[in-house]
Amino acid sequence: MTKEKPSPLKPSRLWKAGILLAFVVFLFLFPRMSSSNYIVSIGVTFCTFACLGVSWNIIGGYAAQISWCHSSFVAIGAYTGFLLFNHFGISPWISVFAGTGISAVAALIIGSISFRLRGPFFSLCTIAFAEIMRVWLLFQKNLTQGANGLVITFKQESFVNLMFRKDDAFYYILLVMLILYMLISWLLQRSRPGYYLRAIKVDEDAAESLGIKTHRIKLFAFVLSAVMTSAVGTIYAFFLTYIDPASISSMDLATRIGTMAVVGGAGTLFGPMVGALALVPLSELANVLLGSSGSGMLLYGGLMIIVIIFRRGGIVSLFSGDGAPVPALLKKLRGKGQAKNGGDSGA
Amino acid sequence: MLAQSIFNGLVMGGVYALIAVGLTIIFGVMKVINFAQGECLMLGMYAAWALHRATGLSPYILIVPVMTVMFLIGQFIFSLVINPIVGRPPTDFVVVTMGLAFVLVSVIQLIFSPTYQTVVTTAKNITIRLGSVSLGTPRVIACGVMIAAVLAVRLFLKKTDVGRAMRATAENLEVAQMLGVNTRRNFALAFALGVTMAGLSGLLLTPIYYVFPNVGMPFKTISMVIVVLGGLGSIGGAVLGGLIAGVVEAVLGAYISPDLAPAGIFLILILVLAFRPEGMFGKGARKA
Repeated sequence: MTKEKPSPLKPSRLWKAGILLAFVVFLFLFPRMSSSNYIVSIGVTFCTFACLGVSWNIIGGYAAQISWCHSSFVAIGAYTGFLLFNHFGISPWISVFAGTGISAVAALIIGSISFRLRGPFFSLCTIAFAEIMRVWLLFQKNLTQGANGLVITFKQESFVNLMFRKDDAFYYILLVMLILYMLISWLLQRSRPGYYLRAIKVDEDAAESLGIKTHRIKLFAFVLSAVMTSAVGTIYAFFLTYIDPASISSMDLATRIGTMAVVGGAGTLFGPMVGALALVPLSELANVLLGSSGSGMLLYGGLMIIVIIFRRGGIVSLFSGDGAPVPALLKKLRGKGQAKNGGDSGA
Repeated sequence: MLAQSIFNGLVMGGVYALIAVGLTIIFGVMKVINFAQGECLMLGMYAAWALHRATGLSPYILIVPVMTVMFLIGQFIFSLVINPIVGRPPTDFVVVTMGLAFVLVSVIQLIFSPTYQTVVTTAKNITIRLGSVSLGTPRVIACGVMIAAVLAVRLFLKKTDVGRAMRATAENLEVAQMLGVNTRRNFALAFALGVTMAGLSGLLLTPIYYVFPNVGMPFKTISMVIVVLGGLGSIGGAVLGGLIAGVVEAVLGAYISPDLAPAGIFLILILVLAFRPEGMFGKGARKA
C-alpha cells in the first residue's frame, strides 16, 4: 500500500515500505507455511477482525465517535447472506450488496438522529440500536430461528457459493478484502473528508466554524463504516457456517471490534490491523489457558482500559512516537496539584 | 389486564429509575456516561447474595452494609481507572467504562462461575392486592426504596455543604474550582454515589431475579435509554423516564410479546431523539 506513495523516497520511508512489503508477502504465504487447518482458521479470524477494526476505525478512530453497534452490521450482513442463500439460493457475492444496502440505511437512520447531538448520544444510540437488532433477531423466530440461529450446509466446493473444503480460500478472500479496506482507509485519510473527520475529532466547534458540515461528514463516515462492516459480516458468516444472535449480534463482538482499533491505535491507518495481529492470537491463547467460558473478554476489557490510561495512541504509537500524550501516571507523579480539568478539548 | 400491566410497569419502572438516577448523578457532575452501570448493578446483586449467604439475613436488612460496600467499590474503581482519565476527551470515558464492564463481568465469572444463584426471601411469596390488581411484594418494596433513595439524594444535594459543592461542580467546573471546591473529590463522590445507586438497585432485584454475571446488560441499556428520555442530567427526568420505560415494557410484554418489550423502549428512545433531542423533560427539571 505505502509502496505506491509518489512522495520522495527517504531512507526511513524505504525501510517502512520494505517492512510492509515483507509483511504482505508473509501474509500471502502464511497458509503455505502450515498444514494445520486450525492455524489457517486463526489467520481467517485475524483478517476478519482486522477488516472489522479498519471499518470501525473510520468512524470510531478518525472521527472519535465511538460506536457499539458494529456487531449489528455484521449481523445484518450475515443474516442477509444466509437467508437469501437458504431461501433463494442466491450467491453470497450478490447478497453482500443486499446486506450492505440494509446496513447503509440503518446507519443513515441512527446517524441522522444521533449526530444532531454531541457528546455521548451517539454511543448511547448505537447501544440502543444494537439491542433492538438483537431482540428483533431473537423475536423473528420463523425467519431467523431465534436463539437457535441459522446454518448453511456444505454441498460441494464452490467459489460462487463460498463453500470450500479448506479454510485457505476464505483466508485469501478476506486478505484481499483487508488490503482493499486498508486502501480505502488510506485514501480516506488523505482526502478532504478524512481531514474533516480529524478536525471534528480535535474540536468539533472549531471545525464547524470553519464551514465543515460536521453532521454530514460524520454521517458519511458512519455509513461507509457500516457498509464495510456488513460486507465482512456476510463473508465471515459463510466461513462460520453457523450464526446466532448471541455470537454475531452481541455487545461482546461490538466491543471486540472496537478493541482492535483502540489497542492497535485508533485513528491511525495501521492501528486496527496491528491490534488484530496482537489480539487475535492472544485471545486464542487466553481461550486455551482460561477456558473459553467467556473470560477471554477479561483480556479485551483490561487491555482497553490499560491502553487508554497509559498509551492512548495504542501499539502503533510505540513505533511512530506521535499521537501519544504523556501518560497520566507520569503527570500524576510530576505533581498531583496540577489542575487538568480546565482544557477539555485537547486530544 | 391493562391496569395490572400498568401497575407492574410502574413498580418495575421504579427499579429502572433508581439505576438511571445513579447514571444521572455521575453524568450531572462529571458530564460522562458510565457504561459499566449495569455491571455495577450486578456487583450489588452479588454483594447482596454473598452477604445473604454468609449471614442468612433477608436482603432488605442488608441494605446498609451492601450500600457501604458498593460505595467503597465505587471509590476504588474511581481511583483505579477513572481518576487517571479525568479531563481527557469524553471518548476515553466511553471506552474505559465499557472495558471496565467486561472486566467486572469476567472477574465475577472467574470467582463465582457463571451459574445462576438465587436469594430466597419470604417477601417473594406475599402479594399485595389493590382491587383487581395484585403486585409482588419485592417489587413494591423496590419501588418504595427507590422513592426514599431519590428523596434522600435530593435532600443531600440541596441541604448539605458537600451536596452544594457537587451542584456547583455540575453547574460550572471552572468557577467551582476558583471558589475552592475540590472538584476531583466531588467527581469521586459522584461516581461512588452513582455506583451505590446501581448496587442498591441490584440488591432490590435479588428477590425477583437470578444472580449471574451477565445480569446487568439489559438493565444497563434500559437505564441509558431512560437517562436520554428524561434529558441527561435531570434526576426528575430520570425517575419519570424510568416509570415510562417500565410501563411501556409491561404493556408491550402483556399485549404483544415479552421478547419484543425491550425493543419498544429503544424505539421510543429513537423517536424521542428524533423529535425532542433534549429529552422529554430536558428543560425545567433540576440538574444534579
